[in-house]
Amino acid sequence: MAGERAAFLTQMVEVLTSTVSFGERLNNMVHLLARNLKVDLALYFGLDKARETLLLNVSSQGPVPPHLRLEFPLGQGLVGETARTRKSAIVHRQQPGVSAANASLEKLNPAYQTLAAFPVADDNFLYGVLILVDRAERSLTAAERQGVQLTCLMLAAALRQAIVQEEAKKRIAELSVLFEVGKALTSTVELDELLERIVSTTAKVITARGAALHIINAVTGELRVSSRYGQIPMECPALPQIPPSAAATEPPYYEGESTDAAGHTHYCLAVPLTFKGQLTGTLGVYDKFNPNGEYLPFDPENRQLLFTMAGVIVNAIENALTYQQVEDLAEKNERMVRNLTALQEISQVMLTSVQEERLQEIILQGLTQDHGLGFDRAVVLMVDEAAQTLTGAKGACRSAATGDLPNLTALQVPPPEMIPVTDWEIPLRVDQGPLALAVLRKAAYHHHQTVKEPGVPPALEGKYVAQEFFVVPLVVKDRATGVLLVDNQASGRPLEPERLDALQMFATQAALVLENAHLYFTIETNNRELLLIRERMLESDRLAALSSLASGMAHEIRNPLVSIGGFARRIAKLVEPNSPLRGYVEVIQEEVTRLEKLLREILDFTGENLSYYGDHELAKLIEDTLILVQRDLDANKIKIAREFAQLPRLHCDDRQMKQVFYNLFQNAIQAMPHGGTLSIRTFPVERPDGLYAAASIADTGSGIPMEVLHNIFNPFFSTKDYGTGLGLAIAQRIISRHYGQIEVNNEIGKGVTFIVTLPVAKYCLVKDVGQGAVPASVLRAPKGGR
Amino acid sequence: MKKILVADDEMSIRLLYSEELKEEGYEVYQAANGREALEVVDKIPLDLVILDIKMPEMDGIEALRQIKEKRPDLPVILSTAYGEYKQDFATWASDEYLVKSSDLEDLKAVVKRYLKE
Repeated sequence: MAGERAAFLTQMVEVLTSTVSFGERLNNMVHLLARNLKVDLALYFGLDKARETLLLNVSSQGPVPPHLRLEFPLGQGLVGETARTRKSAIVHRQQPGVSAANASLEKLNPAYQTLAAFPVADDNFLYGVLILVDRAERSLTAAERQGVQLTCLMLAAALRQAIVQEEAKKRIAELSVLFEVGKALTSTVELDELLERIVSTTAKVITARGAALHIINAVTGELRVSSRYGQIPMECPALPQIPPSAAATEPPYYEGESTDAAGHTHYCLAVPLTFKGQLTGTLGVYDKFNPNGEYLPFDPENRQLLFTMAGVIVNAIENALTYQQVEDLAEKNERMVRNLTALQEISQVMLTSVQEERLQEIILQGLTQDHGLGFDRAVVLMVDEAAQTLTGAKGACRSAATGDLPNLTALQVPPPEMIPVTDWEIPLRVDQGPLALAVLRKAAYHHHQTVKEPGVPPALEGKYVAQEFFVVPLVVKDRATGVLLVDNQASGRPLEPERLDALQMFATQAALVLENAHLYFTIETNNRELLLIRERMLESDRLAALSSLASGMAHEIRNPLVSIGGFARRIAKLVEPNSPLRGYVEVIQEEVTRLEKLLREILDFTGENLSYYGDHELAKLIEDTLILVQRDLDANKIKIAREFAQLPRLHCDDRQMKQVFYNLFQNAIQAMPHGGTLSIRTFPVERPDGLYAAASIADTGSGIPMEVLHNIFNPFFSTKDYGTGLGLAIAQRIISRHYGQIEVNNEIGKGVTFIVTLPVAKYCLVKDVGQGAVPASVLRAPKGGR
Repeated sequence: MKKILVADDEMSIRLLYSEELKEEGYEVYQAANGREALEVVDKIPLDLVILDIKMPEMDGIEALRQIKEKRPDLPVILSTAYGEYKQDFATWASDEYLVKSSDLEDLKAVVKRYLKE
């Protein structure tokens, strides 16, 4: 007997320690037990994971068909009761309640009489219940009972080991899943790629047909990113709404199923992705499938795994999002640096010039070149304050021609493709479109066709076409002096909003240098004018000094001359008519007369006479002078041809001016002793420094011989037998005192033309009558200028 | 015989004028400056005065003023090397203004006009 028992136990231990699978070992043990105890049937009911139900797992008669998979809730029937009490029991069918409580066991053995139940448990756990079934009404010997209990202990140990093993296996599987996920997550920082990997790995790990991930902005509800993998059944929500969790201890999740038209049931499981900050999201899996391709509902294990994955994924996504932000920032930074470098280079070049036109060219270079801001087209428009308009100054197109040059050199090359814009004129009113508005509001505009606001100003109709453009004001000291207009019309590239920032920075620079140039120009002009005035004053001073010297000398000479001449005349009266002395005395008289005449002219020339300045009409001066020479003109049979233009008045000394014309007319009359035509013409002359009035006096005489032409304005040079030769010199002196010029056009055989050019009442020095030749520091206010 | 005063600081001018005017039949007195001229005016019942302008001690313009105060009826001819005094209206009190010239015909003609019988 003892030997049998030992043999049984030995067999049991062999089975238990065999290398076959746990299920197989369990089967073997149950079978062995039935045979050894000579009972009809041995059954093992295992407690489920929920520890609420006992399921028939193993039967000594072989595999349990599905319809015989009996189950007993804890506490029900002998099986349930044994599991609850953890005490072995033997009952017989005749005993009251037994048959009713264990009716389902009749399916296995309709004729059973005896049921023996043993808990399979160790110190901590109950794993299941072992049931022995027999047709005979019998009991178990103490030895048998001990043997069964021992077997149960061994079973418990084996189950425990199996469970631990199963757990370990599961952990290993989970770990390897997490390892897979981790590998996927760390393999890339590109967000899109990462999301793709996450959903595909999730689907594969859970053996689901499809998976979807969505990240939304919790505040705005806007979908930030999403990624899908595999098949997502139409019947299931792509972005499932996860309900709040039922129990506080349990995280929220979504689980749903729906049936499609063909009658297949689809399953969906989704867990939330909880980020720091404003983002939130879901990770969902769809349609778990088994190797046979059947769809299965998701189990709690899947859910757990999904939660675990979600936790890991959130970190990875957060990292990727941060990385993306950092990268965006870095890219933006780089663009800024590029822009700043370009701006810095352009400003360096801009500092090389103070000429407004040149600066405008450099600005256009900076706007259109690739190393600059690289727009297709750029136009500089400047504000005309007086006319209250915005006027085109310069425009240029982008050119690839300078692409190979180093930046600074390239910027200095004038833009090859200029656009004519000087006829652009936009009134500065609010209804004149964004260009006028940019000036009036000192604001930048980004126009594109989708915007309803008016685009190209009405004033530029037919001159400028663009679907999209930027316009920024040039603002200096809170005053808009112009605008920069740029577009990418030629290439059709869009204008990114951040380009507007760079353009505005550029415009600030450009406005400053243009203003500087303007100031420089103003200073330079003022300086030039001051220099001119100073020069004139110095000239006046010199003239005054010279005049007073000459005048003093002339007066000193005049008295002795009077004596010499007067006494010579007295001597002449006393000398006999035939005496040779008479000739000598006459020479003295004549010479004195000549000297006296010279003296008179010198005194005229040096400004003995005071100047009387006023505003006079050139034509009137000429006419008044003509009256003085009318007798001589008639005597020489000279005709007059007049052609007088309408001219502003001159600020001049009329007597001196008449002297000029008198001298010129006298010259002309002397050049035409046998008649001719004296042509007198007045006309305006525009010069950079202002308006001039000119008079030309032409004779039809024989002209001035070439050899003397260069001497005609020299004092004391005369080809004539009479006169002092001071006529033209005096004329020139008077004209230059009036800041004018006198020129001569000489055509031998045809005649001489003198052209007198005089400034029209502007910057004339006014001589104060009381101060003689000393120039007054009073400046006439200029007319119509600044 | 008509009495004429010639006032000029230049002795040669005084001499020339005197000779010429004496020849014309006038009685000629001389003065070297304005102050002397006034003394002569006080002493002698003159018929005409020829005054230079630029003279030491007292110039012709001051002398003219004082002569015209004393004897408004006495004709005074300014004879000067300077044309520009013509614009000074202190000289407008004179009866004539002549710029000096070696040809004395103008001067003599003017004198004659004033001293016609």
